[in-house]
Amino acid sequence: MMKSRTLDIATVSRNAWERLVVDPTLGVISLLVIFSLIAAFAFPVFYAGNNIYNLVGSSITVMILAIGMTIVLISGGIDLSVGAVMALCAGTAASVVKLGAPLWVAFLCALLVGVIAGLMNGFLVTRVGLPDFIGTLAMLGLASGVLYIATQGVPIIGYMTSEYYVIGGLEPLVGPVTLPMVVALVLALSAGWLLSRTRLGTHFFAVGSNAVAARQSGVSVRWVKTQAYVISGVCAAIAGVILAGRNNNVPADLGTGYEIQAISAAIIGGASLMGGRGRVLGAVLGSLTLALAINIINLAGVPSSFQKIVIGAILLLAVIANYLSELARNAALRRRAKRDSQASSLERTKKEI
Amino acid sequence: MKSSSPLARIMSVPGMPMTFVLIITVVVFQMLNPVFLDASTLGNYITNGIPIILITLGVAIVIMGGGIDLSVGTVAGLSAGMTMFAFVNGAPLAVGIAVGCGTGLVFGLVNGFLVAYLRINDFIVTLATLNIAAGLLVVLTQVQPLQGVDVPGFPELTKSDVFGIPTSLLIAGAVFLIAQIILAKTVLGRRLYAVGISSQAANVAGVSVPHVRLMSFAASGLLAGLAGVLLASRLGAVQAFLGIGYEFIAIAGAVIGGITLAGGSGNAWAALVGGFFLVTLQQGLRLNNVDPVYFSIVTALAIVFGVVFERQVRRVILRTALQRTSALSDQRATTAAASARSAAAKSSEGNDDEK
Repeated sequence: MMKSRTLDIATVSRNAWERLVVDPTLGVISLLVIFSLIAAFAFPVFYAGNNIYNLVGSSITVMILAIGMTIVLISGGIDLSVGAVMALCAGTAASVVKLGAPLWVAFLCALLVGVIAGLMNGFLVTRVGLPDFIGTLAMLGLASGVLYIATQGVPIIGYMTSEYYVIGGLEPLVGPVTLPMVVALVLALSAGWLLSRTRLGTHFFAVGSNAVAARQSGVSVRWVKTQAYVISGVCAAIAGVILAGRNNNVPADLGTGYEIQAISAAIIGGASLMGGRGRVLGAVLGSLTLALAINIINLAGVPSSFQKIVIGAILLLAVIANYLSELARNAALRRRAKRDSQASSLERTKKEI
Repeated sequence: MKSSSPLARIMSVPGMPMTFVLIITVVVFQMLNPVFLDASTLGNYITNGIPIILITLGVAIVIMGGGIDLSVGTVAGLSAGMTMFAFVNGAPLAVGIAVGCGTGLVFGLVNGFLVAYLRINDFIVTLATLNIAAGLLVVLTQVQPLQGVDVPGFPELTKSDVFGIPTSLLIAGAVFLIAQIILAKTVLGRRLYAVGISSQAANVAGVSVPHVRLMSFAASGLLAGLAGVLLASRLGAVQAFLGIGYEFIAIAGAVIGGITLAGGSGNAWAALVGGFFLVTLQQGLRLNNVDPVYFSIVTALAIVFGVVFERQVRRVILRTALQRTSALSDQRATTAAASARSAAAKSSEGNDDEK
């Protein structure tokens, strides 16, 4: 399903330039390369010391959220609650650790909160019948409200054990590799496997491309969409546990603004808001691109207050690039159809002769 | 609809079911705390709510055309900032107001152009401009502190009243009236509904869909700009994070008022009622000493409640209407059958029994 949708032109087109223009993943890779080249030429500091290492480390949270977001987008939904749910899970993990429970209990609690949030999103969207972004917007309000009430606006602190420094990626696991990197890699690989090799993955694409057709083919659209939201909730929980470690404290507004970064990363990576299109690799590269862009503006000495403008501008650029890519795809299809019809008419004339 | 009862006819107008809920809410809050409807508190809470309600109207107009505008909150914040920026740099009253409204209009036009003419998803476009506007306001506050101006006439926009009615309420009332007239009585307004119901059908019918879309986003931006001017007038100082989260309340207000997100239905009254419902809820909770942090939860629950309530009301109306028509047709069928039988009986009077 995925291959036939995202690679239709890319596989048939022999023209490398055409392939580059129409394949969203190749597009984001080229964006990444161009950004890196700019960074390398303009700021020699870019390759110095731990800069790239820190950059990758800082992109992990968004990356994990973007993987879940991509799956939701593929199934035709959108999850605005990821940031708030992530913060709530971070708060849950931190407070349970603070109560003196072992770490695994804390993580299970956080995971449970993520799963419940995902189920509630799924319930609001598929059973109550709210539009996706209204249902998850309500969930955003709910999750951030609960965290505010629980913390009374005071950041949660004092949960950082020595193990938690490893979990947050502040202490490396083996050599330069940190645990969050390993977690993100495992998550990306399993999400990629889920999407391309399992029945559920195919169902995500089917539901996102055409929900009516999927239902008529016997797919339980409601349950498939609910599962997508649960996966997104789980990703938010994992990201929350990691971010709690990375951040050293959990303020009530920890998750603010993460939803736009996750959506941006997924969109840059080629996911479509219309559903049925998206790639895990794209989400990973998209989050790296975002982190890279923020890194470049930091290196350029631009005040961090411009960060929001830059994220917004990159998101706009990405959708405009998607639009242009769509135009190019249609043009290529038309050219191909013309060539085919010419070839067939040529054959026909040959036969007639 | 002609066969339905007067009550059903009233309730099927978008915004009417919520009007009754709003009245009940006000009565409940008044009983809980008699200060609620005191002249000073009432004037204060209405003035506080008006920027939000104007933003709600803007979002509602976009939703009626089948779109969505997430940028309204931060655009209002930025417009407030731009107004103050103009005043700090010595602009006269009219120029400052024009700058504020113009900022909103520019954002609305940019949103509209990207959505309508480049056909980029409205959700993403306005999410991006939300962040751009928020970021620009942060930068603006770093350039210059946006406070401490003394422009004669500016605070009076929100702090004076005419015959006991707050000036800003009069402004908002005029805006809502104009909006309703445009929506209901002009070609552009009717086209907006047509585009909201089905842009393809509207296109086939000769409506320039991109033009209508552009106008709806421009209206939303302009209203956000006006809301920003009123915000600046009321607050007297603009902080970096003004307007963040307003879009949540505005969209919630539109939805709660009874404007379906599918587009094609709704009116200015529904936006007014929905917006006022949330403002009332906020004020009522505050007066009853509920911690303001509960408000986001209450808003979230109100969205779910509003959508379900609206749909339930519509379902009941539809069901009674169906029952009525089916009862009518049953009746007609039975009378027809009876008359046919009697006619048959008459014609067969002379013949032998058939049964």
